[in-house]
Amino acid sequence: MLDPSLFQRLIAKALQHGGDYADIFCERRIASSFRLQDGQIHESGLAVTQGVGIRVIIGESAGYGYSDDLSYEALERAAAVASLIARGGSSGRQAVALSSTPILALYDEHRDVHAPSEAYVNLLERADTAARSFDPRVVAVNATISDELQDVWIASSDGRLVHDHRPLVTLGVQVVTKKNSERGHGFVGDGGRTSIGFYDSRSPESIAQDAARISTTNLEAVDAPAGEMEMIVGSGGGGVLLHEAVGHGLESDFNRQGVSLYSGRVGERVANELVTIYDDGNLRNERGSLSVDDEGNPGQHKVLVENGILRGYMQDHLNGALMGVPSTGSGRRQSFRAMPQPRMCNTYMPSGQSTPDEIIASTKRGIYAKTFAGGQVEISKGDFVFMVAEGYLVEDGKITAPVKNATIVGNGPEVMTRVVAVGNDSRLASGHYTCGKGGQYVPVGVGMPTLKISAITVGGSSLG
Amino acid sequence: MDNQLEFARSVVEMAHSCGASEAEAACSISDRFSVEARAQVITKLEQSTGKTLHLRVFVDGRKATLATSDFEPSHLQAAIAQLIAGARHVAKDAYNVLPEPVAVDEAELELYSSELAARDPQVKIDEVRTLERRIREIDERIQNSNGSHVGDSITNVSLANSRGFSGEYRATRASRGSSPVATDGSDKRTGSYGTAARKLSEMESIDGVAQTAVKRTVELFGARKPPTMRVPVIFERDVAASVLSDLFAALSAGNIAIGNSWLTDRLGDQIGSSLATIIDDGRMVGALGSAPFDGEGVPTQRTTIFEAGKLRSFLFDTYYARKLGAVSTGNSTGGGVGPNNFYLKAGSQSARDLIASTKRGVFVVDTIGFATEHASGTYSRGARGFCIQNGELAYPIDEFTIASTFGDMLAGMDGVANDLRFDGAVVSPTFRVAEMTISGG
Repeated sequence: MLDPSLFQRLIAKALQHGGDYADIFCERRIASSFRLQDGQIHESGLAVTQGVGIRVIIGESAGYGYSDDLSYEALERAAAVASLIARGGSSGRQAVALSSTPILALYDEHRDVHAPSEAYVNLLERADTAARSFDPRVVAVNATISDELQDVWIASSDGRLVHDHRPLVTLGVQVVTKKNSERGHGFVGDGGRTSIGFYDSRSPESIAQDAARISTTNLEAVDAPAGEMEMIVGSGGGGVLLHEAVGHGLESDFNRQGVSLYSGRVGERVANELVTIYDDGNLRNERGSLSVDDEGNPGQHKVLVENGILRGYMQDHLNGALMGVPSTGSGRRQSFRAMPQPRMCNTYMPSGQSTPDEIIASTKRGIYAKTFAGGQVEISKGDFVFMVAEGYLVEDGKITAPVKNATIVGNGPEVMTRVVAVGNDSRLASGHYTCGKGGQYVPVGVGMPTLKISAITVGGSSLG
Repeated sequence: MDNQLEFARSVVEMAHSCGASEAEAACSISDRFSVEARAQVITKLEQSTGKTLHLRVFVDGRKATLATSDFEPSHLQAAIAQLIAGARHVAKDAYNVLPEPVAVDEAELELYSSELAARDPQVKIDEVRTLERRIREIDERIQNSNGSHVGDSITNVSLANSRGFSGEYRATRASRGSSPVATDGSDKRTGSYGTAARKLSEMESIDGVAQTAVKRTVELFGARKPPTMRVPVIFERDVAASVLSDLFAALSAGNIAIGNSWLTDRLGDQIGSSLATIIDDGRMVGALGSAPFDGEGVPTQRTTIFEAGKLRSFLFDTYYARKLGAVSTGNSTGGGVGPNNFYLKAGSQSARDLIASTKRGVFVVDTIGFATEHASGTYSRGARGFCIQNGELAYPIDEFTIASTFGDMLAGMDGVANDLRFDGAVVSPTFRVAEMTISGG
C-alpha cells in the first residue's frame, strides 16, 4: 500500500536518536458482517481498520506511535514519537536496505472482494431454519456471519519487507430455549482463515444444530455438584484447558520478566509423561494460523511440552532478542493501534493411547466437560478457572445427567501432573475462539484429545 | 480535525445522497498518551491520535452500520455505497428510526479538565517511576513487577443526524495502576490495582494506588483451599462492581426483547432485598460514565433499575424502547445498550463492620472467569479471599468457586457498606449475600 522507499525513510526517522531495532506495521482490514435475529436479517455492517504503527526498541524499552492518517507528515510524526524512547542513546544506527521477503501463504483463498451479500444471508437463514426445527422449545436464534480480509505490510530495520493477505470467516449461532421458567443457552461458532466456501463442508445447519443441542441439554441439566472429583475433558473444545492452564504461562514476556511459574525451567519436568503440547501457526486455513506473524516472522510448529518436559517458550522479537533466541513467529497484535505481544496460535495436544470409551468407563464419579465457555489464568501461580458450556455427570463408568452452572478451578502445573489418560482422538475445536491479553484480542485455535484428570475442584451449587 | 462536527454533518449528507433515508454519524477523535515502567526502566512510551467514524443508516427501515478509521473522502464515499448496497438484504423493521432531536441539557457535566490535558509528559514519566519505586518500598517481598502504567486521553465526540440533531462534547480521562509480583520463599503471587478519573484532583493518590496494589499482591500468601460449604459471602468493592457488570446484560433491553434474560417478564416483581437499589445515571458531574447525550443523541438521565429490590426498569436505546413500548433511557452505545454510571446504592455501615457482623463466611477480594449466563441467571466464579470466623478475617483462601443465581444473590443481599466510589462507570460498595455455595476441597 505504501511505497517501499517511504518505509525506508520512516525507519530512518524512527532510528534518528538510536535504538536496536525499528519496525513499521501497516494494515488495511475490511470486515463485512450480517446479523440475523427473530428470523430476519437484522443488520449489515462494514468495518474498515486502516493505519500504521511505528515502533522503536532499545534494550527492553519500546517507543510507539500510530497514525490512521496516511499522509507522510502524520507518519513522520508517529516515527518521531516512537524515536523518543531512544533519546540520549547512541545516535545514527543504520537500517538495512529493505528487500521484499516472499512468504509461504497458508490460506487457500485469495480474493480482493467479499462474497456477494446473498451468500451470507443464505447461510444465516439456513442456520435459523435448522435451529428452529431442532426442538419446539427453541425461542430465539441469533446468528452472525463475519468475513474479513486483512492486508498487512511489515517493514523492519533488519531489512525485511513482508506483505500478508489474511482472510478470516466466522459463523456463530446462539440458541435460547425455554421450558416453563427455565432458560437454556447454547452457542457454537466455526470458521477459519479461508472464505465462506468453508461452509460447503461444515454446513450452517450442523453449526445451528450443535448450538440447539447444547441449549436444550442445558434446559434439562441438573445443578453441577460441588467439590473435588475426577474430570474428563472433551476432545477439541477441551483444548481451552491447555490454552489457559499452560499456554499463557509459556509466553515469553512473562518468562523473561521472571513472572511466570515456568520461568527458567526449560528442560525440566513440568507435567507427567503423558503430556505433550504444541503451538502451531502453520496449520492450513485454521483460525489461529499465520503465514507470518505481526512482526513479519513465519509461523512455526513449536513443541512447548514434550512427554512432560518443558521444551521452550513462544517468542516475539523483543523478548526473544533479550533472551538471546530467535522469534518463534508468535508476535501478534490486535491492530496497528497496539504493539505486538508474544501470543499463542493453535495450541493443542496430540493423540495418546486410550479410547474415549475406556476413559469414560474407568471413571467412578466425575464431571465430563465436553466444551468450555471460557477461562482465565493467573500467571505467577498458574491458578485457572473455566466455565463449562456443555457438561455431564459420570457415575460408575457411565454418562448420566447433563449438568449446568459448573465452574472448574485448579492449578495448571498441578493438573498437568494429574493427567491419567490421553485419548486417541485429538482434534482441533471448531474455530471461533478469541484470546484476550493486555486488552488485545486475537483469533486463536485450540485442540485436544479426550483427557482424564484424576482430581479437580468443581464449583457447582449442589452439595448433594 | 478543525471542524469535527462539520465533518459528521457532511457524512450524514453523503449518506443521504447515496440513498439513505435516515443517517447518523458519530465521530470520535482521541489523543492518547501512555507510559509503562518496570523497576526504573521505561518499557513502553506511546503517544498517538486516533479517530473513528461510526455511521448508521436506515434505508426504508433497513439498518446498516459502518465503522471506519479511513476518512479519505473517496474511500468514504465508496464504503457508504457498499454499506447501502448491503442494506438491501436487511429486513424492513418499523422500529428502525432515529430519535427525535431533543435539546440537550446544557448542564455542565465537568467531563473535561484543562489541567489534565496540559500535563507535561515528563510528569507522567516521573509518576510511573515513583509507582514502581513505592511498591518496592512498601513491602520487601516485592522485588519484581509486571509493570506500572500512567496514561491519559482527551476525546472529542461529535454527533449529527439527518433529523437535525447535532451535538458535541469533550472529555478527559487519566489512569494510573501497578501490577507487583511478590515472592515469599518459593511462593510467587501477582496482584494489580488501578484507578481512573476525569480530573487529577479526583484521582486516588500515587501512594494510595501503590498501597492497594501491594496489599492485593501479598495478602493471600499462604492461602489454602476452603472446605465445601454454604455460608454468607461478602464481595469487596471492586469484585462487587464486577457482579454488577455481569448483572447488566440481563437488564439490557436487547436481551429482554429476545427472551435472552432471566429478568424477562419480571418487571414490577420484588426480586432483591430492600437493600438492593440499583441505579443508572448518566448525569453525575465529573463521573467517568457521564455524557450529555448517548450514542444516538438522546439526553442521558437517571434511571432507577431496582428500587429496594423491586424491578422498576430495564435499560433502553431508541430501537428497543420502541419495540417494547417504552422510552429510551439514554443508554445507546451507538451499536447497542450500555451502562452510563451503573451502581448499587451505598449503605451506612463500614465494610469492616460488615465483616465484624459475620460469624462465619467468606470475604471475596478477587474473582476469575466470566461467562454469559444472563439467560439462565446462574452465577459461578473462581474466587480468592479470606475465611471469616467470628467476625474476623481468619486466614486467606484460594482455588475455590462461589456459586448461586443472580436472583438469589439480590434477594439474599443483607448488608451493603458505605464505601462506594465512582472510579469507573460500573461501581459498587462492598456487599454481603446471606448464603452462597463455596466449592473447595
